[in-house]
Amino acid sequence: MSVLVIAEHTRGEVRDITYELITAGHALEGPLVVAAIGSDPGALDLNRAGVDEIIHVRVPQADFENDVYQQALEALIAERRPDHILVGFSVNSLGYAPAVATKLGLGFASDVFAIRREAGTTVATRAFYGSKVHAELDFPGQRAVMLMLRPTIWPAAGAASAPPSVTERNVTIAGSRARHKEFLDLPKADVDITGADFLLAIGRGIGDKENIALFERLSEKMAATLASSRPLVDAGWMPSSRQVGQSGKTVKPKVYLALGISGAVQHLAGMKASGTIIAVNKDPEAALFNAAHYGAVADLFEVARELEKLY
Amino acid sequence: MKIVVCVKLVKVVGDEVEFTADGLDVDSDYLEHALNEWDACAVEEALRIRERLGQAEVIAVTAGDKKSEEALRRCLAMGADRAVRVDSAVTDPISTANALASAVAPESPDLVLCGVQSSDSVQGSTGTALSELLGLPRVAVVKKLEWSGAGPATVHRELEGGLVDVVEVDTPAVLTIQTGINQPRYATLRAIKLAEQQEITLVTAPAGGDPAYRVRRMFTPPKGEGAQMLKGNPSEIASQIAVIIKERLK
Amino acid sequence: MARDPKYDILFEPIKLGPKTMKNRFYQIPHCNGFGSEKPLSQAFFRSMKAEGGYGACCTEYCSISPESDDTHRVSARLWDDDDVTNLSVMCEMLHGYGALAAAELWYGGPHAPCMESRCVPRAPSQIPSDFEHLTYPKQMDKDDIRAVQKMYVDAAKRARTAGFDIVYVYGSHSYLPQQFLTPYYNKRTDEYGGSFVNRARFWRETIEQVKDAVGHDTAIAVRMSCDMFMGEPGTQLERDCLPFVELVDDIVDVWDINVSGISEWGEDATPSRFYPSGRMLPWQHAVKKVSKKPVLGVGRFTNPDLMISAINGGQLDIIATCRPSIADPWLPRKIDEGRLDDIRECIGCNVCISRWEIGGPPVICTQNATAGEEYRRGWHPEIFTKAKNADNDVLVIGAGPAGMECAMILGKRGMRRVHLVEADDDMGGIMRWIPQLPGLGEWGRIVNYRKIQINKLKNVEFHANQRLDANAIKTYGAEIVIVATGGYWATDGLNGATHDVIAGADASLSWQLTPEQIMAEGKKVPGKKVLIVDNDGYFMGVSLAEKLAMEGKKVTIMSHQAHIAKYMDFTLESPNQNRKLHKLGVEIVVEHYPTKIEQGKVHAVHVFDEEAHDKVWEVDAVVLVTQRRSNEALYRELKDKVGFSELKKEGVNAVYRIGDCVAPRLIADAIFDGHRLAREIDSPNPEEPLPYKRERRVINMAGAKAEIDEHMAAIHAGVR
Repeated sequence: MSVLVIAEHTRGEVRDITYELITAGHALEGPLVVAAIGSDPGALDLNRAGVDEIIHVRVPQADFENDVYQQALEALIAERRPDHILVGFSVNSLGYAPAVATKLGLGFASDVFAIRREAGTTVATRAFYGSKVHAELDFPGQRAVMLMLRPTIWPAAGAASAPPSVTERNVTIAGSRARHKEFLDLPKADVDITGADFLLAIGRGIGDKENIALFERLSEKMAATLASSRPLVDAGWMPSSRQVGQSGKTVKPKVYLALGISGAVQHLAGMKASGTIIAVNKDPEAALFNAAHYGAVADLFEVARELEKLY
Repeated sequence: MKIVVCVKLVKVVGDEVEFTADGLDVDSDYLEHALNEWDACAVEEALRIRERLGQAEVIAVTAGDKKSEEALRRCLAMGADRAVRVDSAVTDPISTANALASAVAPESPDLVLCGVQSSDSVQGSTGTALSELLGLPRVAVVKKLEWSGAGPATVHRELEGGLVDVVEVDTPAVLTIQTGINQPRYATLRAIKLAEQQEITLVTAPAGGDPAYRVRRMFTPPKGEGAQMLKGNPSEIASQIAVIIKERLK
Repeated sequence: MARDPKYDILFEPIKLGPKTMKNRFYQIPHCNGFGSEKPLSQAFFRSMKAEGGYGACCTEYCSISPESDDTHRVSARLWDDDDVTNLSVMCEMLHGYGALAAAELWYGGPHAPCMESRCVPRAPSQIPSDFEHLTYPKQMDKDDIRAVQKMYVDAAKRARTAGFDIVYVYGSHSYLPQQFLTPYYNKRTDEYGGSFVNRARFWRETIEQVKDAVGHDTAIAVRMSCDMFMGEPGTQLERDCLPFVELVDDIVDVWDINVSGISEWGEDATPSRFYPSGRMLPWQHAVKKVSKKPVLGVGRFTNPDLMISAINGGQLDIIATCRPSIADPWLPRKIDEGRLDDIRECIGCNVCISRWEIGGPPVICTQNATAGEEYRRGWHPEIFTKAKNADNDVLVIGAGPAGMECAMILGKRGMRRVHLVEADDDMGGIMRWIPQLPGLGEWGRIVNYRKIQINKLKNVEFHANQRLDANAIKTYGAEIVIVATGGYWATDGLNGATHDVIAGADASLSWQLTPEQIMAEGKKVPGKKVLIVDNDGYFMGVSLAEKLAMEGKKVTIMSHQAHIAKYMDFTLESPNQNRKLHKLGVEIVVEHYPTKIEQGKVHAVHVFDEEAHDKVWEVDAVVLVTQRRSNEALYRELKDKVGFSELKKEGVNAVYRIGDCVAPRLIADAIFDGHRLAREIDSPNPEEPLPYKRERRVINMAGAKAEIDEHMAAIHAGVR
């Protein structure tokens, strides 16, 4: 048995998901092989604990292209016959992994956030219906299974004590029908809160209108976009364009840092799909602590001042 | 010139969830339905291409039961010319792609647009799987599309963190469309009424191959112990928060 | 959905003397314009709240004698057995829902001018009312005191006969018992004046006598103001109220605690403009600390979390509401059923109160178009019949207050499809910028509530950024078209004072502006000196004055009337609004109207100056708040240019219009207009409101015949 992990990299940098895939692969039997596909795979840092072998798959293309990765992966699967193939649930992988699974008739599931082996069966867990419901899946039939794993669930694998063996391999690419031309770094325009990756939201707990300036400053330093729960908008202290909630905007940032928000149902409805919710509130009974991923019962002004020092 | 758009009628679960007797899916009494948000953008993009090129046939295709025709009617009301339903149960992305292919392939489309993902399954994979069955090139997560109607198209792929990858893709091709590429037009009441009366072609699904996965059980996740509480004085709490933020923004 | 367990405390019963209330939701005494003379309107209005879960509902202030007659304002009355019969209907209906009924027994003293009864009110000292300035009372001697106390006792007995479970000896708002307690009103030197014990004597004796008469099976409530904000002469918490609580706690079954006197009772019924919810909790808490009996009180409570915090924090035992119960009589039920986002929250605009202050009209509510219509139009705020013509599609053009309300109710009435279309990028219309005026943030709840409800309605779609012209409407595919395009502020100074434009008024110039130019379009007010021409008489002029003064402008507000923002007297917002303007240094010019506007100058004359001397104000900018106009253009195009018969050919069977685009009006009335059309969309002629029931005496000709014949005979006999 073996596990094949496909490394992800952009512009010469290995993406964190790669290290997370390695950790996830530890739960599965057999040697863990990491394949890096590109024109200079040797430059990528893949020395991580638990990696038994690194395959440098040399292709003409320096940057990701669907057909290149598809052909490279198909070649690797034909040669190595892994039981499990792990890729990240990422934009790149969406462009080729399902195609490989379809072509080769593999077991397949995406956005998986838990894996286990049970009596010789692989069980993967994913969500349905907007995360309201979880499902356990398995893969009947004797075939290899490809799983696309959700980022930031598994911790990144640490450094390897001894470097894994490296295999060099070239793959001839028959043709790439979708070709990378260039990258564009789009400037961060004036985001409306629904487009922001990081929201700093303030609520009734901030007390007085005069205190808003403190949090405006903090949000600037932290490179967060300032948002608000309804009471501050009701009071006329914050514009309604910043309001998160059922009658305001629905947001799904990567990080939602809530200061002094109790977590009324109407507010939750607008932000509970956020990637990571961190709540700071003086009230240990604040409802938001039930929905948050991280919480702290503390004076939010003191925490805010300390945060400011760190940025 | 034919542009096929693959769409899905998604299920929206309210706050109360009940499962079917076998525990393998949500009881549909507790569901609302809507045209998948990503697919609406795909339809809109197809209509805009038609408007830019002056002429093209936009065909909406779905794989599902009779109720899924609601999604097709919305596409017709928006302005699609024709609609086809492949009669099949909604399952994993590869099986769905198989069903769709049986209706899409005979059309020999010049372009196939799908939404990046559906809001209820979030597999993100059906469009790419379909492209393989059709033997067509594909680009996933397209935020911008420029195409003269012949030859390669230039598309923008939206990567994590906001980076954009400009890709040249040979056509015919399958593109999965990301929300934000456009603002889907709404349909007037007249268009909705006309769409109600339009004929929808029915196609039987091909015999199924192996499903990509099997659902063993479905369950509501435990409420959880709630938040992981950070301890310490404000300075320590702030440090911990900063570390978490840095992690999660990558 | 289920009740969140943290709200369980609100649903626990509580004993009030010999009675038990089934939960902690209490509708405090408040006026509705119905009194004892519109008994069905009264009963249907109150019982709607009991249906909505309130554990107890009260009458408005209930007069115990013709000497306590507040005409033109409408109070309830318990003067005789016929009043008992009329008010018994309310009691029966409340009991049907398991709610208690309370009568707030009231004697107004000099504050009640007796304009119907022509009696003379009695009072502790002979000083005219600070509220009704021409009314002098008779100074009470001991016989008067006994006589008035007997009125309380007799009224309490009538109340008990009518079916009331709770009777008040009501003093708040500077009514008689509190007048005795308060040095401002009580200059007596006998045993009913002077020391605390003496000043408390009248109230204590009255409570004792009422308790003796009915207290064995009727709960005794005392409503007391714990601070009149008048310094030494006024009622004070520590000097007067807490000792009074200790003095009579044993014989009182429930305390109803508020603050303020009568002349500024907006300190009690706080407008959201000036105070947040729960304003009186500190006083309520103080009383709760010294009393062993249940304490209730209001505070514009709309948020269940604040409610449980008040109870859990030992500040109140019972949550009383007035205005939130008008805005949503089903508040308790919605909390019970976990439907918090269905709660229609009070916005604290006090338009309901304004109707009572004006005297005569029935209560209305900005948020709840059905308030006051429960009986006379049979409207239920939560239950809607399916429209008989539901098999129709409706296009509503304009998502302001009228359009949103209409689309929402049409949706609830099951119309097949409703498309609400708006030219701007979101719902709200004028309510998108009005809540941005100083202090009006809570008024945004008008939009919040409707947005949430419309999002929930599967048969209603909202489309923003669509400016439909007549042609697009014609071919839209709707059988029913409803135009709700709102209004705009006149740009030429047209006004109700002169019925003419103002020479030189032109808001297309950079230095002249209208309210929406400033608030919605972001037009900058140039320079420093701004003159606001205010012929509106409600909040727009003074709110803009406040806003511009806070931004550093030197503001003058000019009105032809005797004082500015007259309607705000009725909403109780005047005193604090005037204090604000005074603090901000706003120059208030009354009894003047502008004759000419030119760059840098506004010319005006005093309204009573027969020689019309020209007075000049130097200005950098002029804001025209003279009057509003309807945005009629679209409707006129549909009716006059395209024509209804053309529209019919395209399948449009009916075109209606609602709200400000018909005639500008209060937000409450625009919402009412949209609501009414939706309720009556399936009547034979929806454009015309259906007749409503009027509670009036219709003479029984057969029964009156004898009386009339006798009179006619006397005329013929030459005796008359």
